[in-house]
Amino acid sequence: MSLFLASVGFGLITAAVLAIAAVGFTLQFAVTDVLNLAFASVMTAGAFTAYLVNQAGLSVWVGLVAAMAAGSLLSALLNYLVYAPFQRRGSAPITLVIVSLGMALIIEFGIAGFSGGIGVSYRMSQGSTVRLGGLVLTTVQLTIMAVSVMVMVSVHGLLRYTKLGKAMRATAANRMLARNCGVRAGRVIALTWALTGALCGLAGTVFAINVGTFDPTSTDIFLILILAAVFLGGPGNAYGAMLGALVIGLATEISAAYMQADYKYAIAFVILLAMLAVRPAGLLGTRT
Amino acid sequence: MYETLFPARPRGRSLRSLSVVAAAVLAGALAACGGSSSGSHSTLVFADLAPFSGPDAALGPIYLVSCDGTTNAINKAGGILGHKVKCTSADTRGEPADAVPAVGSLLATTKNLALVIGCTSDEAASVVPVIDKNKTVMFCMTGQSEFDHLKFPYFYRLVPPDLAESYAMTVIAQNLGFQKIALAFGNDIGSQTFVQPAIAAIAKAGLKVVANETLDLHATTFRTEAAKIVAAHPDAIMTEALGNADPTLFAEIKQLNGGKMIPIIGTSAAISPVFYTACAKAVGAADFAANFHADNLVTATSGPAYTAFTHALLTVKGKVAGAQTGDFTTYFTAPGAVHLYDGMNLAALSMVAAGSTDVAKWKPWIAKIGDGVPGAVVVHSFAQGVAALKAGKKIRYVGPGGPTSFDAYHDSPGIFQIDAYSASGAVVVSGSITATELRAVSP
Repeated sequence: MSLFLASVGFGLITAAVLAIAAVGFTLQFAVTDVLNLAFASVMTAGAFTAYLVNQAGLSVWVGLVAAMAAGSLLSALLNYLVYAPFQRRGSAPITLVIVSLGMALIIEFGIAGFSGGIGVSYRMSQGSTVRLGGLVLTTVQLTIMAVSVMVMVSVHGLLRYTKLGKAMRATAANRMLARNCGVRAGRVIALTWALTGALCGLAGTVFAINVGTFDPTSTDIFLILILAAVFLGGPGNAYGAMLGALVIGLATEISAAYMQADYKYAIAFVILLAMLAVRPAGLLGTRT
Repeated sequence: MYETLFPARPRGRSLRSLSVVAAAVLAGALAACGGSSSGSHSTLVFADLAPFSGPDAALGPIYLVSCDGTTNAINKAGGILGHKVKCTSADTRGEPADAVPAVGSLLATTKNLALVIGCTSDEAASVVPVIDKNKTVMFCMTGQSEFDHLKFPYFYRLVPPDLAESYAMTVIAQNLGFQKIALAFGNDIGSQTFVQPAIAAIAKAGLKVVANETLDLHATTFRTEAAKIVAAHPDAIMTEALGNADPTLFAEIKQLNGGKMIPIIGTSAAISPVFYTACAKAVGAADFAANFHADNLVTATSGPAYTAFTHALLTVKGKVAGAQTGDFTTYFTAPGAVHLYDGMNLAALSMVAAGSTDVAKWKPWIAKIGDGVPGAVVVHSFAQGVAALKAGKKIRYVGPGGPTSFDAYHDSPGIFQIDAYSASGAVVVSGSITATELRAVSP
């Protein structure tokens, strides 16, 4: 087994999960103007929703759909009950970041209180192992990659070809101008929260399937990787987030193959800092 | 501006507030006066200071099972000099930075705190000096070798230094015929303390370290680390990476190794229902049971001490949060449950023997009752001990953890055995480790 090829395989699966989350995060940020640090906690809530469904005897793939619904609902409620009131009162962006950090802790400790804080796993088989050249992946991991590709294609289709997608892009580019052009920005923002919340629930569940055992704090480090992927690609740019996820996923796993593995997250940030030094707006971002 | 922030209050209300504060201060002072002797049969508190969240979150609930079970037994036997005993807990999250405020809060807010238990290797270095300064007796579960030669008058432990566990794991590898060893330890203080002694002992035993991976306990996958371990073709993996790390690592190794597990040698911390349940789910119960061994201190599995201990613990079965999964009988051999039960009984009997809950009076009795004095009768439970003391006898307490032998630093290391799991999660003793074998691998 070539360690390099094996680590490329691990990087691809990490990138697949990361891409779903990063695209959801960056869309949310671009359209709503909220850097929502509670995103990873909502992912965890989604993962635990799928766990409850799975524990009730249903397939984890049914749980995944429930997780998307739960993520969508929770995100919409977060906006309606917390972020929107702060925004209406003209709170500064940094205030909303702190508020979202508080919400992240509330959700995380809420789940910990409910679940007991211990690691849990889905009742599911990881499937058979598939060897493709030097890549070693399970059928479940290949399914996650396929889901990720489907999500990327769907997001592309949404943004490019649908009325909602165009309205989202317009709102992200200039909310005031979009309003003046007849875009119902408030409705678009609410729909964006629901849509990105669904992506968040989906990301949480595939994340949990991928890691096998998870607990309420499992996504803490993952949030850092999401931020790295988003800012590497260019904040607010969905295609940039996809590219950023691929770079971060591959860089962390390939670097771990050749040096002490606990440096792999440091490597992700060295890459991010180096890239921002050369292209401050990110890989696909544009200066404004 | 200032008027808005600090509006003037009517004078009468201000005086009322002052009276309330004065009354509260007076009440506090009166309470403090009675605190040292715990007057009028107030309830004494045993505190479980350990991780209840974070990667080592499984440890705190194990100790709490022991604490609640032990205090139930003590209360059933009439309490300590008429005082009832109860348990409280404080979460260190397994991090020194969180442990210091946790212990500060515990000491500041707990009335009639008689004993602290827990204090694992994750946080011992930062909390032991604080507890010691507060003159509170503690029975700690740390194996850190720095406590072998540091004098903290209020510090006691009934577990061996971690380096002895590293030697014991090496003996297990030797006895099972493994030559090539991979190390996979978590990046927390409590796990890293095993690494250097293990490397030295493996070399002394003539075995070979073929991989040495440090696992970030906050990471979510370890595929690359697993790939490096599999590529090194070890005969066995020595590991301690609690939380989700070890179960995830084992599953990924199994996947990369063509569906075959590599034999695992764990530390005594792996003897817990939570750990077994997580690993069994990750790789399958039969596979895990067939490939897992761990060192553990020899504990009783029958006899009067064991019977009293298991009866005490069974009173809290299913009642302690975080300890409701897995086979409950695993707690009967979990080192934290066994040795802290003994520690709490030693402390409680010392108070009874001294006839006081004043720590200065009862602390000297711990070693006397644990190690025994000439003419002492052996007792195996708190109730037995109290009855013997009432009859005017000297006692020596021998609990399920075996007899103690405290040194000048209040350490009482035991002797090791090899534990394994059955496929149903019950702990089975699969061998023993002699002192000669341990000495042979000690560098």
